Amino acid sequence: MRLYAMAVYLFLYIPIGIILLFSFSAGRSASQFEGFSLQWYGKALSNPFVMDALSTSFTVAVISAGIAGIFGTMAALALQSMRGRMRLFFDALIYIAVMVPGIVIGIATLIALVTVFGWLNPLLAAIWPEGQVPPQMSMGYGSLIAAHTLFSMALVIIIVRARIAGMDRSLTEASSDLYATPFGTFRQITLPMIFPGILAGVLLSFTFSFDDFIIAFFVAGSETTLPIYVFSSIRRGVTPEINAIGSMVLIVSLSLLIVAQLILQRGRTPRS
Amino acid sequence: MSRKSDFISREKFMQELRRLEKGSVTRRHFLGVTGLGAAAAVLGATMPGLMPRRAFAAGDIGDRVVLATWPNYHDPANFEAFTAATGAAVQVNVFGSNEEMLAKLQAGGSGWDVFVPTNYTITTYVDADLIVPIDTARVPNYDPAAFEARFAAPGTVDGKLYALSKNWGTTGFCVNSKHTGGVKVETWKQFWNMTMDGFSGRTMVHDYQLTTIGNALKYFGYSFNSIDPKELADAEKLLIDAKPHLFAINSDYQPSMRNEDAWMSMCWTGDGKQLHTDLPEIEFVIGREGGEIWSDFYAIPKGAPHLDAAYALIDFLMTPDINKKEALAHGYPVADSRVNAMLPPELLNDPILYPAADLLSSLEFGAAATLTDPNRAELMARFKSA
Amino acid sequence: MRPQARNWLLLAPAGAWFLFMLVLPLVVVLVFSFGERGPAGGYVPAFTLEQYLNLPARWTAFKNTLTLAPVGTMLALLIAYPLAYFLAVRANPKWRMMLLILVIVPFWTSILIRSYAWIFILGGRGIPSLLAMVGLENVRLINTPFAVLTGIIYGYLPLMVFPIYVSLERLDKRLLEASADLGSPPWRSFMQVTLPLSIPGVATGCMLVFILLMGEFLIPAMLGGGKVFFVGNALVDLFLQSRNWAYGSAVAVALVAIMLLTVSLYMRFVRRFSDARDDVSLM
Repeated sequence: MRLYAMAVYLFLYIPIGIILLFSFSAGRSASQFEGFSLQWYGKALSNPFVMDALSTSFTVAVISAGIAGIFGTMAALALQSMRGRMRLFFDALIYIAVMVPGIVIGIATLIALVTVFGWLNPLLAAIWPEGQVPPQMSMGYGSLIAAHTLFSMALVIIIVRARIAGMDRSLTEASSDLYATPFGTFRQITLPMIFPGILAGVLLSFTFSFDDFIIAFFVAGSETTLPIYVFSSIRRGVTPEINAIGSMVLIVSLSLLIVAQLILQRGRTPRS
Repeated sequence: MSRKSDFISREKFMQELRRLEKGSVTRRHFLGVTGLGAAAAVLGATMPGLMPRRAFAAGDIGDRVVLATWPNYHDPANFEAFTAATGAAVQVNVFGSNEEMLAKLQAGGSGWDVFVPTNYTITTYVDADLIVPIDTARVPNYDPAAFEARFAAPGTVDGKLYALSKNWGTTGFCVNSKHTGGVKVETWKQFWNMTMDGFSGRTMVHDYQLTTIGNALKYFGYSFNSIDPKELADAEKLLIDAKPHLFAINSDYQPSMRNEDAWMSMCWTGDGKQLHTDLPEIEFVIGREGGEIWSDFYAIPKGAPHLDAAYALIDFLMTPDINKKEALAHGYPVADSRVNAMLPPELLNDPILYPAADLLSSLEFGAAATLTDPNRAELMARFKSA
Repeated sequence: MRPQARNWLLLAPAGAWFLFMLVLPLVVVLVFSFGERGPAGGYVPAFTLEQYLNLPARWTAFKNTLTLAPVGTMLALLIAYPLAYFLAVRANPKWRMMLLILVIVPFWTSILIRSYAWIFILGGRGIPSLLAMVGLENVRLINTPFAVLTGIIYGYLPLMVFPIYVSLERLDKRLLEASADLGSPPWRSFMQVTLPLSIPGVATGCMLVFILLMGEFLIPAMLGGGKVFFVGNALVDLFLQSRNWAYGSAVAVALVAIMLLTVSLYMRFVRRFSDARDDVSLM
């Protein structure tokens, strides 16, 4: 049994080992080790496009996870006390949002937005005051964040709802029996109890957005996220710079993961 | 002195390859005819007027410029030099096909400042209103008189200049002679037959319609540009039959050729040159039946976000001594006689770059119709999904 | 404020988001799927069933997806289950958290970079060269369905391990001990106690992996060399190479339809065979 587990871990880590190994290569090739060097880390860190892509990915991931966290939690709270057709309709939407493959979401968003912009831009130009440059709507940060938030929001709603379902109702009831305002009840009872769910949802959303390639590939317009940069570089013939980027992302996310784990453990409320 | 001995050993090497020996006379003829020969080289090197004027860094052009181009097509050091001179970093986006570039531009918001279309696509870009005419006043290093007309002409549509000639070349195939058993490979017929026989699992074809379909058409002796349904049906049958024997359908074949996963691949001139230089056993072949001759251009897409930087970059790359470094790095022939005047003669005599006239005469420029023809697009898609 | 009005307010932003970013795009795709390709690509409005009638031209892509997605899911399950079992039941509790984190860590480097590492491992300089040393010449791994399956399993293993681990972790070990005390052989305890308890986790894991595999593009593109073609690859091709938006939309609609159908059938099937139905669905 233990041997089997070791074999699986080996399977999981051989590629990681290769990525790390070649990130220290002195040569230009990512498949032939030519002596130890840290130069590719320096190159990656001083490459403005890597840093740009990294900051784009980070910004998009933070904003979309934030929006998804807030709006998703709001929706989850509303849905818990809703019944009937509206509830079924929302359930279906969430179900579809999770089920439809990312590639279809990407393509659908692209052609829908291109079509809508195709109508809106001339319209804007027509109604815009004389002598001023009318805004041109195009794919970019906005479409990227909007598309990522869609999936993330569905994720947050599902996780937070599961948390609410496992919540002890008697506490909120007691709170309102004691004449606490609804908001007071929310702030003091509900929020602390569902918070680990929200956090888990937001973290997952961040990860999803940060790592997503296929949706961004279609809707990013002129923006370059880190996965798009990596994809384009792989075509150009990989230098160990890519390995260095991968290794750094790995190390940073590993530290994030450990921090998140610590927070989650501290925030974990005892379940009744 | 050393150059001379290099040249001689080169000639000796050529003699070993019969094809090249035969080509050397006609090649010189070709170079003479096209004005790329030794005479031009001597003349050009002594004329100070041909030295570059550095006008590309005039004023503040912003901190970046985005270039959409092809794999292995630039000298990275030149981009570093451009950044050092102007303060604008160059983002290089690499593409695998003209179709993909067109799709990206059609969808809008590509964010590119400069891109590198191939001759046969430019009219489509103009028709679709996707590129803007070049203001030659902003490209002082561009000298129209220096360019060979047949490679530069497709940049002009309806009397307006939309694109400046970057390089030209041919599309043949590269083959690792270690595995041919001494057989001389020189036709597309052999390319496809070997793929389905001894080279099974070792051949790569491009991941776009023009050359993959075109070179399958050549198997039957049809035009490279055919859009005739019957001829396309023949090509499709060949492609489908060959598909199980392919190593990959991918336009980035250098890595696989270098590590010998693949033994043969459709190949552009410069890649053939780069591979042959590093691994002499890899030879570049232009199919006897014909194939593609092409020229690439620099163009500016409509709505380029950094227009000043776009002009600065094009002007920089048009500078003869910069373009010379580009050519030395990527190995593609240049249509600019000012650059050719500076290139070492062994490069100008290289049979990979400047094929013999009889080989060259059978090649065809890609036709605009193939880019938009729905049948060719769908045939390629069927082949890939088969 | 009335609770109902409050609920509406709370739902409004999410509702608007779903409407504009999900319903609208999907409706556009549906509309486009009845249209025609423009002369230079793109879309022209029309009403024709031509795109749907042409779907058989992508039969191989659908067939590949519909075989490799379930096969990949099953293989991932077969590899993940023993590991999850080991982590939940056998592993030293002191190391358990650490070992679990180690399962996710590879997931935190871009799948692109990890797939690139696999190109090297499966390519001529990797495993085949090792095999050649022991006399197995000319083994081809890269650009085969095997390579794609390896990449798939590698990419999605954590998604399978986690839900199974969670359901096994809840297993009361005293049950197993009791079962052993009653003279039941270990395999029987496993079949009668452990396996039924882990079904919800297995169901969730399988569904997650299956859904992602159905829309897969990257792994077949990188490890299949353009030869192992999924519907996802066909879609990217239709939008980025042949620029046939109408036909691409029809393929997308077909993919979504097939997914909704298989997943609902699957959920119905799982619910019927599972007592713990609340744990099964994603919701």
